Amino acid sequence: MLQNIVIGQYIPVDSPLHRLDSRAKILCLLALAVIVFLANEFWSYTALVTTVILFVVLSRVPLKFFLKGLLPIFILIIFTFFLHAFFTNEGAVLFSVLGFSVYSGGIEQGVYISVRIGSLVVFASLLTLTTTPIDLTDGFESFLRPFKRFGLPAHEMALMMSISIRLIPTLLLEADRILKAQAARGADFAKGSLRTRLETLTAFIIPLFVRSFKRAEDMATAMDARGYRGGEGRTKLRVLKWRARDTIACIIVAGVGVVLALLRDF
Amino acid sequence: MKSFDIVIIAMFVALMGVAANITVIFPFLVIAGIPLTFQPFIAVLAGAILGSKKGALAMVVYTIVGLFGAPVFAQLQGGPGIFVRPTFGFILSFIVVAFVVGKIIEKSRDPQLATYCIAGIVGLAFNYLIGTNWVYGAYVFGFDAPDQFTYTIVWLGMLPLFIKDIAFTIAAGIIAHKLPEFVKRPVVGTRVQGGS
Repeated sequence: MLQNIVIGQYIPVDSPLHRLDSRAKILCLLALAVIVFLANEFWSYTALVTTVILFVVLSRVPLKFFLKGLLPIFILIIFTFFLHAFFTNEGAVLFSVLGFSVYSGGIEQGVYISVRIGSLVVFASLLTLTTTPIDLTDGFESFLRPFKRFGLPAHEMALMMSISIRLIPTLLLEADRILKAQAARGADFAKGSLRTRLETLTAFIIPLFVRSFKRAEDMATAMDARGYRGGEGRTKLRVLKWRARDTIACIIVAGVGVVLALLRDF
Repeated sequence: MKSFDIVIIAMFVALMGVAANITVIFPFLVIAGIPLTFQPFIAVLAGAILGSKKGALAMVVYTIVGLFGAPVFAQLQGGPGIFVRPTFGFILSFIVVAFVVGKIIEKSRDPQLATYCIAGIVGLAFNYLIGTNWVYGAYVFGFDAPDQFTYTIVWLGMLPLFIKDIAFTIAAGIIAHKLPEFVKRPVVGTRVQGGS
């Protein structure tokens, strides 16, 4: 079970979206997250849905991966839909159930809000589905570099991100090992009152922390031994390049924003 | 920043990821269908052990790693789509939690067990203040929730979780107080030049 956890969601296929610079994609996502909220009537929502479909087709990522991203949000969408269907009292009464009247305005609003949340999630999934975690971290670092003069450790943060992603499976295995070791010594984590359970849990947490600190120490020593000295003057194997297509992508997203702003009902 | 600091902060980020999904390891922690998480517990410990600045930095990195798609949030979720969830405020609040807990312990000259516990509870209060208000705000502004969705309803929904977190926080305080005797501080480690 622990081995089945997939870190990152990147789908390695070749598409126009995959080839874009990660910085361009991050910028576009930030812009789209605002643009989504511009839509507020039928035609602007149609334009929004068209954009979503276009981008999904362009990404060449199989549809099931988007559905996987939408699944956890599905309950939220259903909840919001019913919240609106039952409590927004606008338009004509469609029917009544158990004293609640469902209005056409409520259904309309429910559909719109669901589309809004859905598009946001799909846009967000597009970023992680088409960009490797390494590229994202690099893009993030280059965005933060200007803030270095204000004391923001851009390079260190990017390094921490890479290390922590690597450490998650290690820690899960470690936790599993400690659990088995303590069970072999007779620890039962599943029995007793809440108080005794919390007390038994320390038999798990203390070793986990001790081992984590030990591992961190070893790793830091290894870094020092190899002459790690921070981001200053450090070169990269893969360098991000801003190309013409990245500028075009940004212009397209800005265009979508303008179209939605024009269609929007004020 | 020393190499050790970089690695230990990354370690706390990974610990947050594991704590959020503790039910993968301990299936019995799913109570009444709701998987419990240990995130506030680790956030409090990050502040108490790493200090205010590094603890808060660990939580910032945790949030970014999660937004970039690593499955470090509860139920192995990750990716920028999390931002849309009404509960995202809780994740953001961990930054404040770690900072506040660290600050309280740094300010006290001789931190006792009680100091750790009080610091943890103050941190937890920030956790819920920010998280719950974010949930309410998300529904009102993001989802255009109707007027029947009141502020009181949101707080009532948080109550059962709050009771569980109080217990965990006190446990965190006790462990944070005990831990330094188990964890030897590193003696080696050169200062990184050029880093801040």
